[in-house]
Amino acid sequence: MRRFSLALTGIIFLVISVVLLGLILYSPLPVLAQSLTNPEIQFAIMLSLITGVISTILCIVLAIPVAYALARYEFFGKRVVTLALTLPLTLPPLVAGIALLLFFGTTPWGKALENAGFGVIFTPLGIIVAEVFVNIPYMIRILRSAFSTINPRYEYVAKTLGCTDTGAFFQVTLPMARHGLLAGAIITWSKAMGEFGAVLMVAGATTMRTETLPIALYLNISAGNLDLAVAAATILILISLITLCAVEYFDRNVHVF
Amino acid sequence: MLHIKSLSINLGEFSVRDVSLEIRSGEYFIILGPTGAGKTVLLETIAGIHTPELGKIILGDKEITATEPRLRNIGMVYQDYMLFPHLTVGDNIAFGLRQRKMSPSEQHALIEEMSSLLEISHLAKRYPGTLSGGEQQRVALARALVLKPEILLLDEPLSALDGRTRERLRMELSRIRKLTGTTIIQITHYFDDVFALADRIAIMREGRIVQVGETSEVFLHPSDTFVAEFLGIGNIIRGTSAKTGNITQISTHDGTMFFAASGITGDVVATLHAEDVILSKAPFASSARNCLSGTVTEIVPSGSTVQVFLDVGFPLIALLTRESCRELYLEPGSRVYATFKASAVHVIPAALQERGET
Repeated sequence: MRRFSLALTGIIFLVISVVLLGLILYSPLPVLAQSLTNPEIQFAIMLSLITGVISTILCIVLAIPVAYALARYEFFGKRVVTLALTLPLTLPPLVAGIALLLFFGTTPWGKALENAGFGVIFTPLGIIVAEVFVNIPYMIRILRSAFSTINPRYEYVAKTLGCTDTGAFFQVTLPMARHGLLAGAIITWSKAMGEFGAVLMVAGATTMRTETLPIALYLNISAGNLDLAVAAATILILISLITLCAVEYFDRNVHVF
Repeated sequence: MLHIKSLSINLGEFSVRDVSLEIRSGEYFIILGPTGAGKTVLLETIAGIHTPELGKIILGDKEITATEPRLRNIGMVYQDYMLFPHLTVGDNIAFGLRQRKMSPSEQHALIEEMSSLLEISHLAKRYPGTLSGGEQQRVALARALVLKPEILLLDEPLSALDGRTRERLRMELSRIRKLTGTTIIQITHYFDDVFALADRIAIMREGRIVQVGETSEVFLHPSDTFVAEFLGIGNIIRGTSAKTGNITQISTHDGTMFFAASGITGDVVATLHAEDVILSKAPFASSARNCLSGTVTEIVPSGSTVQVFLDVGFPLIALLTRESCRELYLEPGSRVYATFKASAVHVIPAALQERGET
């Protein structure tokens, strides 16, 4: 068993490495460098970064109070609410995307938003909306787990020392949950950078308009520009690697999954 | 004075039911009771963490039932210290002062004063995670005391500490109380805390206070069998202890003397389980070091046993089976000899008793 299991571990490690390195090394380095300076790829990098950062910040801001409520309070229907909040975790992003498309494209609320200047369908704003919708459950889960490991008595003591409810939260609980917050932010950001299905449905795949890195990969593969597709893919692999290392680092204190 | 009137609160698992208490200012008040009796909930409600469903809390002449915890000036220290792990010891102690927007120089002076009182000045730059249990509890005490609270609530402050540290910190609590005059309400399950520290005690069970009173009063006259069984001690004897050879001799205030196997000298409280006292009509030779003569004052049957109250110079209770009691023909006024081993006597320093004289 020992020899078999170790051998199999080695083989799978090799397969993963070979497949991914094959992608990174597909284009000769000068070609890769040139692809990275291509305006379309640069646009995609910028758009992914901007939408990724904004959607991550939105996720953090929205998830903190929700995760806190789930960790600390009992309320009617908590199980159902928790389930609903967790569903997007297992839902294929494509399905989430089409649901968002229908919501913003066909309902009166969606129309009203569009008339008010917040057009979501086939716009960069749609990218952010899709990313937040798909990723917020991760943020909520990670933060909820971080909050529930913190004894509420820390807050009690803070209050007897002169804090308001909010003060105790921001001065004690949140700093104590900082590892979870960081891990959550990194995972959310990385998932946002790689989000394809939901973004495709809501924001479409318009070159140089709603073209994030995964969309750029898809558009260039479809058009036969293999070098540009590989460049986009390489950046996405790099992001995954950084995320993994960061999460490994913070995961010592937090249960991420 | 803290006045609790018919307080009720239900937190599901734990509850407090119709609790009324009056705690005098400067008093050291200890709450005893089995796990799940609602002791911590009562303390947290006094601190303002939970809002009671019924009843009132009055501090001085102000009703504080609905006052926010931060405005009550009541400090709280838990068994597990609850030091903020992301802040240094110095910042932990300064935490409350910062909320009060005190100037840095004022903060500094107060922190210095409290740190040197608790002998933790050298720890200021360290993080709580690097401290020993005893050090952490000193920091937690300093953090609460630096705000000069009107009342300090201690929830089993010594329970997470090892024996020696617990002993030292117990003396510390008594010293702090003497120096600051703070009213202290403490939960404990150590009788040593009670004898060394408490002015009065309350026994709690299933959310209710079953007995309140002076320590010796409660131990000598438990209000019901639950309290008697819970306390299970019987005898509490105050006296002065001096070393004679390998053991110590304790003289009570009326001059009676007996031996105890202990190294503690000075003003002490000695405890002795009632079942460790042997009664006989005549003195007999044995390995037991103590044989005191006295008179039976009262006989109280309880179940299969009988509590025999004696006067041997000080009040002493012996627990006998009904059989033994009958065979000895005991009745109030009988002359008897009470024999007990020096090693059955548990001696603790009477830290607080000095206070009455200073």
